[in-house]
Amino acid sequence: MITAAPWVCRSCAWSLRRASASQFMRRASTGGLPPALLARARKVAAEHDQLSAQLEANYDPKVARRAGEISRVATALNVFEKTKASLAELDGLLNSDDAELRDLARDDIESATAELTEVGRQLSVALTPKHPFAHMPCLLEVRPGPGGLEGRLFADAVFSMYKTYCENMGYRARVVKYETADEEGMGRTGGELALQEAVLEVQDEGAYGLFRGEAGVHRVQRIPVTEKTGRVHTSVAVVWVLPSFPTDGTEAESDWENPESDFYIDPAEVRTETMRARGAGGQHVNKTESAIRLTHIPTGTTVSMQDSRSQSTNRKWAWMLLRSRIAQQRREVREEHARSIRKGLILNNSRGDKIRTYNYQQDRCTDHRSGQDFHNLTNVLEGGEVFGKVIKSAESWLVERDIQEILADEEEVVPSGNKKNGGK
Amino acid sequence: MPRLPPSLFWRAHQISPHAPNLLLACRDLPSTALELRWIKDHITTTPSTTTPPFLRLAHLIRLRARGLPLQYVLGTQPFGTLTIRCRRGVLIPRPETESYTLELADVLFRTPTRSLTVVDLCTGTGCIPLQLFASLRARFPSLAAHGVDVAPGAVALARENARQLGPLGAAQGVTFHRASIFSPAAGLPPFPAGEIDLLTANPPYISRGAFARSTARSVRNHEPRLALVPDGVPASVVAALGCEAFPEDVFYARILELCRGWRPKRVFLEVADGEQAGRVFL
Repeated sequence: MITAAPWVCRSCAWSLRRASASQFMRRASTGGLPPALLARARKVAAEHDQLSAQLEANYDPKVARRAGEISRVATALNVFEKTKASLAELDGLLNSDDAELRDLARDDIESATAELTEVGRQLSVALTPKHPFAHMPCLLEVRPGPGGLEGRLFADAVFSMYKTYCENMGYRARVVKYETADEEGMGRTGGELALQEAVLEVQDEGAYGLFRGEAGVHRVQRIPVTEKTGRVHTSVAVVWVLPSFPTDGTEAESDWENPESDFYIDPAEVRTETMRARGAGGQHVNKTESAIRLTHIPTGTTVSMQDSRSQSTNRKWAWMLLRSRIAQQRREVREEHARSIRKGLILNNSRGDKIRTYNYQQDRCTDHRSGQDFHNLTNVLEGGEVFGKVIKSAESWLVERDIQEILADEEEVVPSGNKKNGGK
Repeated sequence: MPRLPPSLFWRAHQISPHAPNLLLACRDLPSTALELRWIKDHITTTPSTTTPPFLRLAHLIRLRARGLPLQYVLGTQPFGTLTIRCRRGVLIPRPETESYTLELADVLFRTPTRSLTVVDLCTGTGCIPLQLFASLRARFPSLAAHGVDVAPGAVALARENARQLGPLGAAQGVTFHRASIFSPAAGLPPFPAGEIDLLTANPPYISRGAFARSTARSVRNHEPRLALVPDGVPASVVAALGCEAFPEDVFYARILELCRGWRPKRVFLEVADGEQAGRVFL
């Protein structure tokens, strides 16, 4: 194999070649698209054909709007099918007897494959339902699971993993809250602190879409630093991903005020407490007492914030966190409702199930939803490129699931459709 | 001051070797950890070219361990939207002051006029007029905020703090005067009756007894007594204002006397407790 680099180790060159070949094999069959997505695209395209036929007979603005909405999918599918057909043709030419023809085909096949990937991507973008919060920045909240010190230490490792990952990827992230517990044995823990609760804000737009697959229970299997007999312990850290607003956004303000919005909170329903010592105040004491606690009375959600020396900053962040938590709760209730209507057709992913395991002994990180194993755990915990792959795998799993949910919804809507194909 | 158990120092040591020193001043682990973080943040956000960070950290920790208030150690205190500079010899802005100042700004924001004059007596760092000015300057085209203090150090610091509002804020709008409210003829601009929209004051209001009994140690040892206890006022003046029974109320008596001439539309005074409020306002 000839590469641009003057000398490449043979085994590296071999692995590169194999990688591209296997990718090509996959694309050749479905164009890199999940089969469920393709099925849905065909369905939508069929609907589009039917609607346009209907429109020719007599014009109806309602039908026209729907047709306009799905025309993008129909066009994308059209192009996709065409590209696939031409690729198949080129594949056929590869087996032809004419040597010149074979060479030509080989040249074309590369560009055609690239085109197919691009078209496939466009198609999936056109089809994939967008999460209503996907365009927003997000708050990543890390808390230790039930249990002792080990869970807290691991929560700290998870938090710094996300923090360094954001740094590596160039996302604008900042620590909103970092609260460590006051416990016995604090400090002797190899750089990890006993975390109580930490919140990282990723300010880039669309961060919610990137990280929403991270929400859930992260499990660790390792020998704790505090363990004396060398047994492997299992503990968990819980990650929540909450939608947030861009800090400079003016539309955000109007959205908070809008009672229809998920983010709306009636200030009358929130109790504000400033936590300070009892006794004389004012000029008598000069301790920095900037801690603040907000309680949303209807849901009992509390947020406390003491990280900044400035009380108004703490108040601002506490409100932001409260809004995000409430919005996420409201959204989850709605999704849960939708899912219960669907009668458990879809694999349910509640927060109780672990989503990922970090096994130190085997140097392995497993994503339980996509079912993929990743090695080089050090790189994962440093937020390196392997961790990027882990996040990607979770994300593609989520997209797949969203599409399956939509397919399942359609099965529900059209009772005549055969149930066997819907979901898992 | 109750004795701290040695185990607490051991646990502090496990957080950081600096923490036991901080614990002397903070008295509990959570606030020790928090203050340690703030000091470290301060060092990273204000880089020094001459001193290496670890020496600065050790130095600041040493100062704090001696009981010097954190605000003097770091030189700042956040106040509303501002970061007010603090220095030995000038009272540190308190959270209570911060919260009522923001509340006052909200009230004044709804005043249906185009011009506004606020006067703060015993201004110290100048935090009250500066925060009012910062909150209201967009709303009122002609806004004047005055601060008065008797201590030259306080007036200098307040002017320094005014500079952070930008060239506009320093140039016009906010003015600080060095004057004693007991002889205001020198240094105080003449306010025509009814011109002042809001008169605020956080005067020294702690009695001698309360200063010895109920103030925090770092307040007693490191903050200026002049800003806390009004016992520098001559006995004749106290007698003339009728405050022999409660000499800690003498500033309020004098301020209310001044109000008779200035006729401000609103007056806001910080007091120690309900008892003092009863004596001052009833």
